[in-house]
Amino acid sequence: VCGVNGRFAWLVEGGAGQDVGRSCILVSIGGKNVMLDCGMHMGFNDDRRFPDFSYITRNGRLTDFLDCVIISHFHLDHCGALPYFSEMVGYDGPIYMTHPTQAICPILLEDYRKIAVDKKGEANFFTSQMIKDCMKKVVAVHLHQTVQVDDELEIKAYYAGHVLGAAMFQIKVGSESVVYTGDYNMTPDRHLGAAWIDKCRPNLLITESTYATTIRDSKRCRERDFLKKVHEAVERGGKVLIPVFALGRAQELCILLETFWERMNLKAPIYFSTGLTEKANHYYKLFITWTNQKIRKTFVQRNMFEFKHIKAFDRAFADNPGPMVVFATPGMLHAGQSLQIFRKWAGNEKNMVIMPGYCVQGTVGHKILSGQRKLEMEGRQVLEVKMQVEYMSFSAHADAKGIMQLVGQAEPESVLLVHGEAKKMEFLKQKIEQEFRVSCYMPANGETVTLPTSPSIPVGISLGLLKREMAQGLLPDAKKPRLLHGTLIMKDSNFRLVSSEQALKELGLAEHQLRFTCRVHLHDPRKEQETAMRVYSHLKSVLKEHCVQHLPDGSVTVESILIQAAAHSEDPGTKVLLVSWTYQDEELGSHLTSLLKKGLPQATS
Amino acid sequence: GGEYQDFHAFDLSEATRVLEWIDDKGVCVAGYESLKKNEILHLLLPLRLSVKENQGLFPERDFKVRHGGFSDTSVFDLKHVLDTRLLVTSGLPGCHLHVWQVTEDSDVIQAVSTIAVQEEEGSLWPRVAIFSSMAPGVLHGARLRGLKVVDLETQKTTYSSGVGDSEELSSLQVLDADTFAFCCASGRLGLVDIRQKWAPSENAGPGPGAAARRWCAEVGGRRRGPGPSIASLGSDGQLCLLDPRDLCHPVSSGRCPVSAPSPAPELLRVTWAPGLDDCLAVSGFDGTVQVYDATSWDGTGGQVEPVFTHRGHIFLEDNQTDTAPLVTTHTWHPHKPRTLLSAASDASLHVWDWVDHRAAC
Repeated sequence: VCGVNGRFAWLVEGGAGQDVGRSCILVSIGGKNVMLDCGMHMGFNDDRRFPDFSYITRNGRLTDFLDCVIISHFHLDHCGALPYFSEMVGYDGPIYMTHPTQAICPILLEDYRKIAVDKKGEANFFTSQMIKDCMKKVVAVHLHQTVQVDDELEIKAYYAGHVLGAAMFQIKVGSESVVYTGDYNMTPDRHLGAAWIDKCRPNLLITESTYATTIRDSKRCRERDFLKKVHEAVERGGKVLIPVFALGRAQELCILLETFWERMNLKAPIYFSTGLTEKANHYYKLFITWTNQKIRKTFVQRNMFEFKHIKAFDRAFADNPGPMVVFATPGMLHAGQSLQIFRKWAGNEKNMVIMPGYCVQGTVGHKILSGQRKLEMEGRQVLEVKMQVEYMSFSAHADAKGIMQLVGQAEPESVLLVHGEAKKMEFLKQKIEQEFRVSCYMPANGETVTLPTSPSIPVGISLGLLKREMAQGLLPDAKKPRLLHGTLIMKDSNFRLVSSEQALKELGLAEHQLRFTCRVHLHDPRKEQETAMRVYSHLKSVLKEHCVQHLPDGSVTVESILIQAAAHSEDPGTKVLLVSWTYQDEELGSHLTSLLKKGLPQATS
Repeated sequence: GGEYQDFHAFDLSEATRVLEWIDDKGVCVAGYESLKKNEILHLLLPLRLSVKENQGLFPERDFKVRHGGFSDTSVFDLKHVLDTRLLVTSGLPGCHLHVWQVTEDSDVIQAVSTIAVQEEEGSLWPRVAIFSSMAPGVLHGARLRGLKVVDLETQKTTYSSGVGDSEELSSLQVLDADTFAFCCASGRLGLVDIRQKWAPSENAGPGPGAAARRWCAEVGGRRRGPGPSIASLGSDGQLCLLDPRDLCHPVSSGRCPVSAPSPAPELLRVTWAPGLDDCLAVSGFDGTVQVYDATSWDGTGGQVEPVFTHRGHIFLEDNQTDTAPLVTTHTWHPHKPRTLLSAASDASLHVWDWVDHRAAC
C-alpha cells in the first residue's frame, strides 16, 4: 500500500536582495510534482540568472517528472526563465496561469529578450520563437475555478492583488493541499483589490516573506509625494516624463493627476502616449472581466478616455515649449517612445523623469537609477543627464501584518516562509507559531523541507466482518482504536475491509492450508493400536478443556490436531507418533508435542 | 499652522506609548495592551530619511523591523541602556522591570532578567531612567518613597531616596552621572544629587488648583547661554519654563491652546528640541503635536501659539471610529533639527519635518 503517509518536499531557488530575486519552487505532494513559478534572477548576466533545474531530476525528462508548472504573475522574477525552461531545458507538460498573465507574460518576455540579446549581445538566450512555443503550452485559468490537471491533481487560483492577473494557487491531491501565494498584497489599491482566500485549511501555506520586515509608509503619503514632485517640476516650467508599462498603475497615476490638476486649477497639459492607448483598450477589457465587482464599479467610472485634462500624445508635442507631463511606454526606458522623449528632455535640469519601478540591468532606466549621469547611446553618442531623476514605487507586497492576515484567512497546518536573502526571521516565525499554533519553516535557498502529513483514508468494512467482531464480545469503545483482522481490497479508488474468507471467495482463490507435522518417539513395545489407546487416555485426562477423540481408524484427534501411532521401521520397541496440525492451531500443537515428548504414564495393569 | 518639509505616515500592528532611540538610526516601540502578548520592536528608520541629497534615488521609504520580541506585560516605558545592547521596560503590573537584550546574530529581542520593585497597587507603575556608566544603574520608582537606583548587573540597590513621601511620580530623568530630576503628578519638581542624602532642590509644591491638574516635565539638553532649561506641562495646557537654579519661580509660562484638558494626562509629554534653541514640542491633549518657540512668548501665562501643529494623526485616520486618535508619544530626531516622530493610539507612526518660518533659528 502506498501513499498512506503523504510527504511534501520543496526546493527553493531564490536570489539575493529584495527587488532582485527569483522564485522557483518544487513541491511533491501525494506523488505529484509541481513547479511553482520559474523566475529569472535579474542581477546576473550569465547562467546564474536561471534556476538550476538539475536539482529537480538528475536524469530523466522534466516532462515525465513534473505534473505541471504554475506561474503566479507576469513579473520577470517569477516567469522570466519560463521559455528557457520549457524550450531549452525541455518541458512539454501544461503551464497554468491566469488569463491576464497569459496575455502580458509574452510581451514582457519579448521585451526582456530584446534587451538581453539586441542591447547586450548575449548568447544562449531564448528566442522570440521559443517564447511563442512556450506560450502554446499555457492553459489559462479563471479565479476560483477548480482545474483538474489529471484525475488526482487539481489546482485553483485565488485573487492576489499585487499586479494585474496575479494569483495565489491551491494545489490539491486527495485530502492533501498546498497553497502558494506568489506575490500578494493585503491592502487594496486604487485599481487592485486585496488578496483573498477562503478557509481552505491547507496542510502547508507557502508565502513570500521578503517584505515581512518592512513597515510600509502610507499610500497617501507616497501619492502626495508624487504629486508634490510633479507639481514642483511643472511650476518651474519643466517637463515630466513618466515611463509606464501598461494599464493599471498608469491609470492610477492618471486618476491622481487628474484630481490634483482639477483641485489646483493647473493648466499644464498631461499626455498619454498612443502606444499605451492601443494596449490600454485590450488590457482594459481583460482587466475588467477579471477583477471583482467592487473594483469594477469604482473603476469603470474612470474610463481612460474620459479624462478632462489628459490627452493623447503626438510625437511632435515633445518639442513644444513649456511644462507638460507625459506617460509613455516602455517602462524601463529601454526603447521606443519613452526613450525618445527621454533623450530630448534629459539635458534640461528643469525636467524630471519619475521611474515607476524596478528596471532591468542594462536599461537606461536602471542606469539612471543607479546614479549614472553620462549615458552612451547608439553611435557612441554621449547623453548628459541633467534632468531630475526620481523613483516612485507603487507596487505592493505583503508585510508582516499582511502575512498574518493571510495565515488567519487560510488556516493552514504549517507555514513556510520564502525569502530572497538568507536573513534571520526568527521573530516572524515565532510570531506566526505563537499566534496560530502552527509550525513555521524558513528554509534557505536550495534546502529541502519534508513535512509529514497524516491523511485520513476512508475504508468500508463489510457487515459480516463487523458482526463477527461484535460477536467476540466487548462492545467497541467508539473513541478507542480497535485492532481488526481482515483483508483490505483496493479496487477503483475504493477501500474495503472484508473477512479473509470473503476475500478469497471474491477473488476466486482457494485457501491454502499450512500443516505442521512432528514426530515423537515413544518407547512402547505394544502394538500400535494399544499405543494409540494409551495416548488417547492420557490426553483425555490431561487436556480436559479440549475435545479429544479416538477415531475408528486408530488415530487420536485433539480439536483439529491429528495424532497417529506407527511402528518404527527398524525398532519394533519404539513407536513413532505423528502429530500434525494446521497453522491456526500452532499453539496447541506445540503444547501437545512437548506434552507427548514427556512420555506416557505407566499403564496400570 | 505651518508647512511640512516632509511627512511620512506608517501603521504599526499595535499602538505604542514609547519611542526610544537606539543610536540615531533606529527606534524602539512597544505595545501597551493589558490582556495579550505585546511586541517590542526595534525599527530602522527609512534610509531615505537619513540622506539629504538625492532623496529621489532612494526607494527605501519603509521602516524595517530589525529586531522583535514578545512581552507578556504591557509596556508603558522603555529605556535603552547607552553603549549596551540592553533595554529596560516598565508597565503594568508595576511590580517588575524587565531587562531585554538585542543581539546581532538574531532578530529576536530576548528577555534577560527582571528587577523586582516596590510593590505598587492598582494602576501605578514605576518610571524608569538610566544612569549609563561602566556599571549602568536603573533609577526607578512609582512614588518618591520608592525611588531607587539598582545596579543592572548585580541587581543591588546603590541608591535609595529613603523618604516616606508617597507623592506619585510622573517624570524621571537622569541629567548626569550624579544627578537626576523628578516631577510628581502634582507638579512638584526636584533635582537630586545621588551622592548626598535626600536633599533635592525643588519647588515649593503644588500651586492653587493643582489637584485638578497632572504635571509632567523635561529638562532640556543643549543650552546656549543661561536661561530656562526645565519645562513643565500641566494637563490643562499650562506650560512653565524654569531655571534649575530657582525652581520656585518659573521664568516664563504660557497656555497651550487646547480645547479641553487632556483625556489621558499620563500621556502628556513635553520635550526640548535637541537641535534648536528654546524650542519645545507638546503632545497628549489630542491627535496633534504642537511645536513652540519659547522666545516668542511674553511669558505671563497667557495663550501662546505654536509655530507648527502636526495634524497628520487626525487627517490620515482611515477608519471612522468614534474616538479620535490620541497622540501617545513623540520624540525629536537626535540630529535632524526639525524632524520629529510621533505615535498615536490608532497605531499610526509618523515621521515629519516642518518648515521653520522664523527669522533666525
